[in-house]
Amino acid sequence: MGSIGPVTANPYPWPYDGVVDTARTAVLCIDWQTDFCGPGGYVDTMGYDISLTRAGLPATARLLAHVRSLGMLVVHTREGHDPDLSDLPANKRWRSARIGAEIGGAGPCGRILVRGEPGWEIVPEVAPVPGEVVVDKPGKGAFYATNLDLVLRTRGITHLILTGITTDVCVHTTMREANDRGYECLILSDCTGATDKGNHDAALHMVTMQGGVFGCVATSDDVIAATTE
Amino acid sequence: MPTITAARPAAYAFDLHTTALLVIDMQRDFLEPGGFGESLGNDVGQLRRTIGPLTALLAGARAAGLTVLHTREGHLPDLSDCPPAKLERGAPSRRIGDPGPNGRILIRGEYGHDIVDELAPLPGEPVIDKPGKGAFYATGLDELLAERNVRSLLVTGVTTEVCVHTTVREANDRGYECLVLADCVGSYFPEFQRVGLDMIAAQGGIFGWVADSMDVLAVLPTTPVLQPSS
Repeated sequence: MGSIGPVTANPYPWPYDGVVDTARTAVLCIDWQTDFCGPGGYVDTMGYDISLTRAGLPATARLLAHVRSLGMLVVHTREGHDPDLSDLPANKRWRSARIGAEIGGAGPCGRILVRGEPGWEIVPEVAPVPGEVVVDKPGKGAFYATNLDLVLRTRGITHLILTGITTDVCVHTTMREANDRGYECLILSDCTGATDKGNHDAALHMVTMQGGVFGCVATSDDVIAATTE
Repeated sequence: MPTITAARPAAYAFDLHTTALLVIDMQRDFLEPGGFGESLGNDVGQLRRTIGPLTALLAGARAAGLTVLHTREGHLPDLSDCPPAKLERGAPSRRIGDPGPNGRILIRGEYGHDIVDELAPLPGEPVIDKPGKGAFYATGLDELLAERNVRSLLVTGVTTEVCVHTTVREANDRGYECLVLADCVGSYFPEFQRVGLDMIAAQGGIFGWVADSMDVLAVLPTTPVLQPSS
């Protein structure tokens, strides 16, 4: 197994403990689903520009090829709800209806954000390969009401590299949850994206304040340059 | 039901019987000179403007008989609940557990760890001690709210983009309806105060609603609502 670090990152060389075994590091791919970055999906239906949420796909695909060659653990998450919507909070459904894309309603890619529908699937550019873990989550955070923490601890993971969408919503919520649980986190600016560029930038900036209150920010090139086999 | 029509992105209605006021981390360590916040290079004056409006809101919530809950961020004296990544990260002038003018930084039981005098909890008001930024992780908050049948949270405290945001995100995923009160939450950074509030109300209110404390006080009754007997 190889190692990773120190990665050139903001606000400190990541990780805090200098160098970490790649066996203790996982790459999280958060919600790279058609519903968030594909034509006809949830975000497209709400009227947002999906070129913003797709922007991180090439860099993420390149990062995945690299970390897979090193044998690192890759974990994918998918936001979605059971077909009977029994795990959909009433306020979440109400809000989605208010902006014209009700969760569970019919859309061009099947029922919006419902498990098993075409729109809920991960896009091909960064699709899981056999052996990679996929975590289904009902919320924005990947730790609430899922087995993610158990999976990571069982594999001995202590450090997380975060990619995915959207930066300010699901990626940030998950990074905050991971940070509270003691994982040392690195978010990649070129492997994330948001429906609003200003919120993407602000979310990254927030990470870097106060000595790295949630961890660090870097790019995929910084990570690739800091790994050794 | 009381309704705040001025809330963004839309009117916020709440049932007095199922609503609680949540006061997050209004601790001396964050709000007073010599504490953890200042040791990270922050101007604590940016947070102190919340104390006035929050004092008035707290009085109003107590008069109306709402459940009031307080949180405090901190660690056990032996630091056994402080992740190494949190303890050792960065280069603050004082780390968690180091001695400071108000006692050991962010340690439970120390003077600096406690809530500022103006907002001191009353007997009977739950105080939730949390090791992280979010008030739901590794605490009994979710169970406590369920016991009291709370579904809506009026959210106040510090800091807007860190502990307030993390807690609101956790609450939202759990189905609570959160109204964040702009003048009762504070950040060391004006940019983050603004964008933090904008993010709450973005995309149809993806994490909740935003209003001012005066909007709440205007619709709260001035005598206690009768809590349903359990």
